[in-house]
Amino acid sequence: MLRILRTGAAAALAAALLSCGGGGGGGISTGVGTSPAASNVADVVVDSGPSNSSVNTLFTTVTVCVPGSTTNCQTIDHIQVDTASFGLRILASVLTLTLPVQKATDGNSLVECTVFADGYSWGPVELTDMQIAGESAASLPIQVIGDPRFTSVPSDCSDAGPTEEDTVATFGANGILGIGVFMQDCGQTCVNSANPQYYYSCTATACQATTVPLAGQVANPESFFAVDNNGAIIDLPSVAAQGAPSITGSLIFGIDTQSNNASGNEAVLTVDPNYGYLTALFNGQTLSQSFIDTGSNGNYFDDSNIPQCSESDLSTFYCPVNSQSLTATLQGANGMTAAVSFIAGNAQTMLADSTTFAVFPELAGTNPVSGSFDFGLPFYYGRRVATALELQTTSAGTGPYIAF
Amino acid sequence: MINVKKCVLAGVWFAAALVPCIAAAALGEPENSVQADGARLHASLKVTAHAQYQLHEMQLPSGTLVHEFVGTDGKVFAVAWSGPTMPNLRQTFGRYFDTYVSAVRGKAASHSQLQIRQDGLVVESGRHARAFAGRAYLPQSVPTGVDIGELR
Repeated sequence: MLRILRTGAAAALAAALLSCGGGGGGGISTGVGTSPAASNVADVVVDSGPSNSSVNTLFTTVTVCVPGSTTNCQTIDHIQVDTASFGLRILASVLTLTLPVQKATDGNSLVECTVFADGYSWGPVELTDMQIAGESAASLPIQVIGDPRFTSVPSDCSDAGPTEEDTVATFGANGILGIGVFMQDCGQTCVNSANPQYYYSCTATACQATTVPLAGQVANPESFFAVDNNGAIIDLPSVAAQGAPSITGSLIFGIDTQSNNASGNEAVLTVDPNYGYLTALFNGQTLSQSFIDTGSNGNYFDDSNIPQCSESDLSTFYCPVNSQSLTATLQGANGMTAAVSFIAGNAQTMLADSTTFAVFPELAGTNPVSGSFDFGLPFYYGRRVATALELQTTSAGTGPYIAF
Repeated sequence: MINVKKCVLAGVWFAAALVPCIAAAALGEPENSVQADGARLHASLKVTAHAQYQLHEMQLPSGTLVHEFVGTDGKVFAVAWSGPTMPNLRQTFGRYFDTYVSAVRGKAASHSQLQIRQDGLVVESGRHARAFAGRAYLPQSVPTGVDIGELR
């Protein structure tokens, strides 16, 4: 869909930029469970994705197996890597395996409503043995989105968001791998109370919100690894100002567990233990709900000095005449700080000039949440960024933290 | 000016003398028209008076705070939320929910954020990790002199 940009079609421009509408599919192979060479490094890529319309979206490849089997497995590419969510979610339409559906504490099927800012995804919690690079997570609870056995979405799930995202086209990837700082997607909130928009106990005819113990929740697979299980490092190359068609990099599991993931002299910024926030100091503002997120496809912040784009569907993006070099200071909950330089370019011209590109280091826009600076995937270009899991230690400190 | 009464929300009695209790309404609706709003959200409530509006604060069982801003005309002109779950937007947006849904189609949005800017409705919503934050307001109904930045 990026190619459509040349025509100047506004809707296509917006869809290409921010979402991932379009065709499905995308290189799914069914394997025979041969383990990759023992390694803690998974390849990652930023490209236009299975819908051929993604921008600044990081993908990797995972292998899932029926629990206990080493042969009944499937390798799935273009799984989005997201450091702002937790756990593996796969679109049912690309999954050829039948995995066991988990049960709620009352014995009914356990089904989850995953709410995003722009919509919701519905599907059961199922168990898999997952492999990525040389790491394995056995009996891992994952969500299978859009499972045809569970099509009746309860209203208090669908009332949360504007769009049901249960297909590759609407979801924008074949799945998502949440490897942020927390162990489970919901945590104690779902142990304490039955909340709409998280877990449901479903019979054949009805669903009701339910509590779920931590062990039953969709979980960050890193916490299931036997080794290299205290976090991960994302290492991406720098990108020329005008962007690139695609880039490749590394997702390295573990921190200070192997020779390739040693801590050095990075700034170690702890994040708040409830929400994962950092504080950003920018233009005299103290933005206490800030974060670094591979799942955001630009840098999003409010700066009234930079003009927004005139194109109506890009109106929340910045379109300065000349690229603006800016600086913010990130501050951890531990008081540690790090200066971050970044560039806000002209979204309209960068997209129009490079219609086949999927990598745009200068893409920036306004932030819908006050008090927040969202450093998205462009932050990672040219950096090596460690994300340490909650309660886990490395030689640089105890998670949850971000270091770069 | 506060319509003091006893009310039952999520099975909890609040003494009127301690907690002035008015169920907040949906966006664009009168505050007294949707007594069930807080109850449907299973929320506790408190109301504080500001110069140009009353701020109704509800806390959902998840811990999420929902703020509804009621103007001197008695109608809700803004809602805002912050916490580990999103409120039921069909309930809190009321008749603007359908406007919201149709506005999002084919529009700039991502898993982590969404912004709708129409003459009659602004929605700003973000999700990060285990946190949701956002607001919706009716630009033409925001009382003169109220800073949009207050609507949180």
